[in-house]
Amino acid sequence: MLDSFEIITTTGVVVWSRTYAPIKPSIVNNFIADTFIEEKSGSTAIQDSQSASVNPPYKNDQHTLKWTIVKELGVIFVAVYRSLLHLSWVDKLVDNIRTIFVSLYGDQLKKPHTTLVEFGTNKFDEYFDQQLHELDKASGIDASGVPEIQLNSNLNDEPLSAPSLTYRGRNISQGGLDATSNGSSPPDTPSASRPSTPSNNNLLVAKASPAARLSRRARKKNNANAPLLSSGDEGPGGRSKKAPKKGRKWDQDGLADEEDDVQLDYSAQTNPLSDSEAEATGRSSALEHVDSSTWGSTTKGKFVLKDLGDEVHDILASAEASQAASSKNGSKGGLIGSGINAVSGLFRNVVGGKTLTKEDLDKAMKGMEEHLLKKNVAREAAVRLCEGVEKELLGVKTGSFESINARIQTAMEASLTKMLTPTSSMDLLREIDAVTAPPVTSLRTRRPYVISIVGVNGVGKSTNLSKICFFLLQNKYKVLIAAGDTFRSGAVEQLAVHVRNLKELAAREGGGEVDIYQKGYGKDAAAVAKDAVAHAAHTGYDVVLIDTAGRRHNDQRLMSSLEKFAKFAQPDKILMVGEALVGTDSVAQARNFNAAFGSVRTLDGFIISKCDTVGDMVGTLVSLVHATNVPVLFVGVGQHYSDLRNFSVKWAVEKLLSST
Amino acid sequence: MPSPTFWSLVESSLTPSYTLAIIAIVLVLGGPIILHLILSNSTSYIIHPQVVLVGPDGVGKTSLMTLFERGDSPSQTHTSQKSHSVELNASTDSSSKYSYKNHEDTTGTHTKFLLIDTPGHGKLRNVAMERLIRCERLKAIVFMVDAAALGEPESLAPTASYLYDILLFLQKRASDKSNNKKNNTPVPVLIAANKVDLFTALPSTLVKTNLEAELSRIRSSRSKGLLDSGVGIDDVGSEEQDAWLGEYGSEKFSFKQMQEFEIDVDVLPGNITGDGPGAEKWWWWIAQRI
Ligand SMILES: Nc1nc2c(ncn2[C@@H]2O[C@H](COP(=O)(O)OP(=O)(O)OP(=O)(O)O)[C@@H](O)[C@H]2O)c(=O)[nH]1
Ligand SMILES: [Mg+2]
Repeated sequence: MLDSFEIITTTGVVVWSRTYAPIKPSIVNNFIADTFIEEKSGSTAIQDSQSASVNPPYKNDQHTLKWTIVKELGVIFVAVYRSLLHLSWVDKLVDNIRTIFVSLYGDQLKKPHTTLVEFGTNKFDEYFDQQLHELDKASGIDASGVPEIQLNSNLNDEPLSAPSLTYRGRNISQGGLDATSNGSSPPDTPSASRPSTPSNNNLLVAKASPAARLSRRARKKNNANAPLLSSGDEGPGGRSKKAPKKGRKWDQDGLADEEDDVQLDYSAQTNPLSDSEAEATGRSSALEHVDSSTWGSTTKGKFVLKDLGDEVHDILASAEASQAASSKNGSKGGLIGSGINAVSGLFRNVVGGKTLTKEDLDKAMKGMEEHLLKKNVAREAAVRLCEGVEKELLGVKTGSFESINARIQTAMEASLTKMLTPTSSMDLLREIDAVTAPPVTSLRTRRPYVISIVGVNGVGKSTNLSKICFFLLQNKYKVLIAAGDTFRSGAVEQLAVHVRNLKELAAREGGGEVDIYQKGYGKDAAAVAKDAVAHAAHTGYDVVLIDTAGRRHNDQRLMSSLEKFAKFAQPDKILMVGEALVGTDSVAQARNFNAAFGSVRTLDGFIISKCDTVGDMVGTLVSLVHATNVPVLFVGVGQHYSDLRNFSVKWAVEKLLSST
Repeated sequence: MPSPTFWSLVESSLTPSYTLAIIAIVLVLGGPIILHLILSNSTSYIIHPQVVLVGPDGVGKTSLMTLFERGDSPSQTHTSQKSHSVELNASTDSSSKYSYKNHEDTTGTHTKFLLIDTPGHGKLRNVAMERLIRCERLKAIVFMVDAAALGEPESLAPTASYLYDILLFLQKRASDKSNNKKNNTPVPVLIAANKVDLFTALPSTLVKTNLEAELSRIRSSRSKGLLDSGVGIDDVGSEEQDAWLGEYGSEKFSFKQMQEFEIDVDVLPGNITGDGPGAEKWWWWIAQRI
């Protein structure tokens, strides 16, 4: 059974929801943040109006969320259920509800300056219930099915009042589904004339049924051209298929009965006669079902349910039909028509106001993709970015005097900005202060702030570590540099040279203090790091910078030692140094490093070195962020200790989009 | 039978001449543009006053917007991905001027304005900032904070850093002399301390002092921080003064310092759900500034 179904706009308003078991709002919030904002789901762009069965389900520890999005209208449909249940029909439910909702209320979502969606007749609730029942049943795993015996006894005892009390075999409070419908029903609707005894009821059936059949036939005619319907339950095959499921008919009727009350409110839409007739047949079915198995009564018995079902199928079918028609129209169009289209297309290309089609975009996107590749963006990342932009722009109208390329340019700028902007901005000095001088109100004790630097061989780990150290010294921190590269000979000495230089600089400029912590070669790096942190805590250092051995990302043995390292040293930040240069398999490197720290730890950020050598071709950093969702924090721009910069998203995006 | 004048006309139209050429060129080039201008939305629209809701994620911005729109109770909400506006009417002289429940009020004069909600998620910060920059008749900014969470440094630090960016943006905007006058009108800021119905909520005085203290720390660490990539060493001198929020060189930041730039900052407590002072105070603050 579902826990919840919600229809949410991308602006954050829940326009409709149905809750069966309360779930924490954070579940859906995390789903939105992870799937749409941080795009953690993977390398494929989120597709518009794609079926829920294709979209990757979102799972947290207990729940599974199935979803679909209509980007044009900015609306998300999401169903939540317990992961244990494996409800296969939920995909279909999400898809169908999307179709129904969009065709009924889609226009309302386009209205500016409002968050309200008028459900007007409130019928959407019923449509939803109908779909839920139909699909839940069709999948054959409806566990709740009410046994037939119970149904019969119920019928005999209390033929009229039972329906409103049971809902899919569970008791529901009167306040739930009923309250709204009863509350809103005006007193002078035909429901006032509802017969109070079964015998009366039967009488009414007899009178009403010819009219019922007639209106039914009329409706049938209306539906004749709806493809979905004819394939469904009209034919004898469909009927016989239904037969074994009689056991659940009580649900159906129960539901139908409830619906009657609501339906009566909409006398504007359906005429009063058919209303009372519908009610009557609904009731009669409940009575007749016990002993009758004739075709006529069965039809009548299913009547009310079908009525609603027909309506829903109608909506689904017409939505499908109009979609098919529009796609056909798109591909057709006579010679003259296409000629005019071409001319006005060219014209609109210049002055704007053109609706972007796949053909327009395909060509222009190829150009954009090439542009990104030229900037050194890895193909995988370039393709995903372009796919995302293309999906976003499909069907969009360009603004006045805006060319397709300009539109793509702005969309790409937005995409890149979003990708490169970190979820939480980082202020290194603030973070260090919070740890080394915790506010008295917090119960934390002072400890040193630990940063460790990882990366492949020769990318500039020690250099960048020294640059960070220089920056910290300028701000008068006491820094301990731990020589964690116990592997490569000469590494410790190299670091010692840096420390000597930094000491000198610090002394000259009146900065902080720096020392080296080293235990020579051959020792376990994780243990050395741990000792260094303990030593720093003891002797009052503010920051510990841990250098690590460069390792090839496909060197299993060295990579696996990183997990232990992270556990031992407990760094506040693990930064990976990556090169801006071309030709490295940067994406694979970043992925492997990001995964190397075990299940609970990832990289915290990148330092991109040698940015001064690549000019505008800063695409590598896009590839790294794309592959890992880890933000770039610093960029190295030269040979001096002072050549370290905060990463500016704007700067990078400008470089990436500049044409040379 | 065509007359000779007709032929001469045809003849002259076929002989090359500058006037004709120019007319032709104007027609060919200008025609489509004129046509387009006529066809495309030529309806002139008035720009309503705008009030922008900003703040970190999950503080209740969208809830507030829907509460004001609906009047009775807020809609359920989830994380916003896009900004969105609603049209509202405020009044300073009607009988229900203190309340947003004014949908049926016929007394007094009401002014239409747009309340613009923005997403609070960190990755969408620039969506919010861009929306702010795009406003043509920006009248006020409501910066919403979660008073129940501000006691925690994990919440205070990012909140203050966002507020820092907003205030710095306003300060730069106010002190930018080259701007045309439309954009130069100072914009007041309301810090709406939301969720005071929760027992962990800080009183608004504490919200204010906590934010001021954190803003001082951010200001000093930013002044010492690394340069941004793309900023050359040469432009450092000129940038420095601009990037300092409030009174230059002062040790402690206070919201009063923003008055140097004619930016008023008020802190008012309230709540959207639960029991408490409600959202009326915020409404009245907005109504007075439209
Ligand atoms: N207790 C309490 N909860 C509130 C109050 N106002 C809002 N909330 C809840 O806070 C949560 C977040 O509210 P939203 O309006 O979605 O927050 P937002 O600021 O729009 O968040 P983003 O869209 O992510 O930026 C919702 O679950 C609200 O019910 C309040 O005054 N008191
Ligand atoms: Mg929101």
